[in-house]
Amino acid sequence: MSVSKDISPPALIVETGALHPINHMKDSIMNLLISFGFEIVDGPEIETEEFNFDMLNIKKSHPARQMHDTFYVEKKSNLLRTHTSPVQIRGMLERKPPLAFISGGKVYRKDDDATHLPMFHQVEGIYVDENVSFAQLKDLIYKIIYSLFGKDIELRFRPSYFPFTEPSAEVDILSREGKWLEILGCGLVNPIVLKNCNIDPNKYSGLAFGLGIERIAMLKHGVTDIRDFYKSNLDFLRQFK
Amino acid sequence: MKIAYSHLVKHIKENPSIEMISDKLFQLGHEHETHDGIFDMEFTPNRGDCLSIKGLLRDLAVFYSVDLSQDIYSENLDQLLLNFENLSENICTHISFLKIEIENIPKEYTGSLNSYFSDLCLNKNNFYTDVSNYLSYETGQPTHCYDSEKVKGKIVLHEIDGDEEFETLLGKKIMLTGNNAVFSLDNNVISLAGVMGGKSTSCTSDTKTAIIECAYFQPEAVIGKSVKYDIHSDSSHKFERGVDPLCQENVLRRFIKIVSEHANIKDVSMISYKYKKNLVHRIPVDVNKISKIIGAHINKQDYLKYLLKLGFHVEEDFIEVPSFRSDIYTHNDLAEEVARVIGYDNILKSEINIPCNQTPFDNNIENKLRYFLLDHGFYEVINSPFVKHDLANSIKVDNPLDTNRQFLRTNIYNSLVDNLLYNEKRQKDSIKLFEISDIYSSSDGIHKKRILSIIASGKVGLNYRDFSKNIDKEYLARIFQEILPNYSLDFNELPRDLLNTKIKNKIISLEIAIDNLPIDLSYKEKSRPPHKYNQYNPISEKPSSYKDLSFSINDYSKATKLQDLLLNYENDIIKHVYVFDYFFNEKKEEIKIGFRFIFQSKKTTLTAGEIDVVYNEVVEKSLSIKGLSIPGLQSN
Repeated sequence: MSVSKDISPPALIVETGALHPINHMKDSIMNLLISFGFEIVDGPEIETEEFNFDMLNIKKSHPARQMHDTFYVEKKSNLLRTHTSPVQIRGMLERKPPLAFISGGKVYRKDDDATHLPMFHQVEGIYVDENVSFAQLKDLIYKIIYSLFGKDIELRFRPSYFPFTEPSAEVDILSREGKWLEILGCGLVNPIVLKNCNIDPNKYSGLAFGLGIERIAMLKHGVTDIRDFYKSNLDFLRQFK
Repeated sequence: MKIAYSHLVKHIKENPSIEMISDKLFQLGHEHETHDGIFDMEFTPNRGDCLSIKGLLRDLAVFYSVDLSQDIYSENLDQLLLNFENLSENICTHISFLKIEIENIPKEYTGSLNSYFSDLCLNKNNFYTDVSNYLSYETGQPTHCYDSEKVKGKIVLHEIDGDEEFETLLGKKIMLTGNNAVFSLDNNVISLAGVMGGKSTSCTSDTKTAIIECAYFQPEAVIGKSVKYDIHSDSSHKFERGVDPLCQENVLRRFIKIVSEHANIKDVSMISYKYKKNLVHRIPVDVNKISKIIGAHINKQDYLKYLLKLGFHVEEDFIEVPSFRSDIYTHNDLAEEVARVIGYDNILKSEINIPCNQTPFDNNIENKLRYFLLDHGFYEVINSPFVKHDLANSIKVDNPLDTNRQFLRTNIYNSLVDNLLYNEKRQKDSIKLFEISDIYSSSDGIHKKRILSIIASGKVGLNYRDFSKNIDKEYLARIFQEILPNYSLDFNELPRDLLNTKIKNKIISLEIAIDNLPIDLSYKEKSRPPHKYNQYNPISEKPSSYKDLSFSINDYSKATKLQDLLLNYENDIIKHVYVFDYFFNEKKEEIKIGFRFIFQSKKTTLTAGEIDVVYNEVVEKSLSIKGLSIPGLQSN
């Protein structure tokens, strides 16, 4: 019997790690938006009521400001930002139009059940220039959704309400199962918000949009329970590389 | 809010199908589901005016010929002599009271009142309350009914500040705290304004004479009360979103009309109070502005036609906003009205070109660190910032979800220790985790730090080179030399004494402030983010166990064949296979190779017998390869 003398050792399989799927999704979306011309602006997670609500035209009476919806800290002197929109306010105050920037990160709301977590992630973007229109907003949103879900995806715009945009819209995509799924909120920046940021609303207009990262990651990866993202289970994390 | 299709369609001349109305409602931005002829509506919070049959019809009027007229009691009414004082005119700008007495209490209802209860399968209460509930459904304006016999004395609307007991008409006893707008009778609270009336003055099935209160409350006075006291009511839902401040008299006349259709009215009188002048909000007609906002040419005639159909008035080149549309202030608001009528999906896209930004995003220090750690087998995690215990300078959450989450963490490694123990409980023997996050502390103001934290324990790697090496400070110091040479890093070995675990592996951690790192960090990463989005395969929470299988091989060619067989072995309960041992004995000209099999079921906790069946099958198939032997079997 002939015996092989090739003694090359087995392939050395060295395990590499993985980015957290939420951070990976956030980075992917931010890189996509950078390719459209946006720059990144960062802001703090602990915010003031002024930046989180007042400047965004969210009235004192708005339900979101209640203690049952927003986490307040340090004897109500500050709060955990409920959206990344205050970064847009800070960005607009620091810059002059035309401006186009995005912000992404953690946001906090006082929810905790099977479909909502007290901490989740958003990416928001804003573009302010002369003659920015709803028709242009639609073009941008189509580009974002097509990039994320492919050009065969069917989407629809629905009128909605956000105090900081007017007109406001929510955008749904049609799932393979034939169900419409809400994917992002958007609109033209409310002139009151522009004015709050010392931008002349008679000269400039703007568009803004925001995406919930968990929602998109769940759709893209087929994760059905949002809580799975935050158990730090290695069997879960290993699947995203 | 549930609205019956039949209640809507009877006012629409074109008699559209439920599907046609559903499509139009979606186009207008009124989300809903339909079940058995009922629209289950979800309105955006700015559209309080739509929370009724009348409100929805006003919006649908832009598409259909809608009959918005209502039968009301149109005779002159005596003025009600009521001992009432409003000490809170700022929050209640309009209020009307109706006193009505009937001869007999109706046993059955007819017409719209009857359809309301039968079509929506609602329980009846008492006659006056039933009419009140129906009217709220029909007109959007809540009313509250007091039993006239129980209201002898002076009614005062005022704001109280402090603790006050109150029993709702549903019999729930609550303690009013803080500032509340209430109606009082002889210093006793008889109604929490805009939310719910009290038991002491409520109507019953015997009530023949009632006082009906119909008011406009500022949303700010009502918001949050129903949640605070856990007394959700249709009234609070509507007042929070804003009702029409000018409809109260008309609604009470409609009340009389409905009562008159069911009983003989013996006596009726009404009084109205207005504390604020009715100011009409006017916006100049500027169709070019509307076209610019939408990004499409809008014809002026069409523009005005849409608004007129929606209930707006046009007067001398100004658009007058109707009193029920408290959400309309600017041209952008009007543009949204036009866009809704056209249909958002019917507005054509217009090419957008944003002035280009070329700043690369993924090349910063943070990303270099992340990919460096990925290359060394670390997994990124994200943890909640809420923790139970405060440390020095922790920030306290004023309204935490529970006492276990009342502070913000001031370090990350405690979260990583929890992650480590969680994975150890799931039989993971090589755990390397990291997290990058902002942490906040309070000391003369709020301070933010961007932190990288890592934790590692167990085997260096699950392969024959690293299996026998355990993670320690030296291992981590050695790999960090690659990215931070000459940089002093303070690795910690965390004691296991307080961790409630029998595992003895060293736990090594490192926490560093990213802002303190050199900005010219140099590292050429090997890992890249995945290009596709893997479909998640649900993980098992059942315990896993392992069995090892070691072979002696003299015919080296069989080693590859064996690896091909075992590393790709497919079975429902084999979760993972890897080579944990490899040795070439030159003297004996023999290869020793060891495989570790991890067994886990998605459905059950595996028994030793179930594992043995599969294990023996593996052994059998392995031994069918000639030229190798199994010196011994090892198991856990």
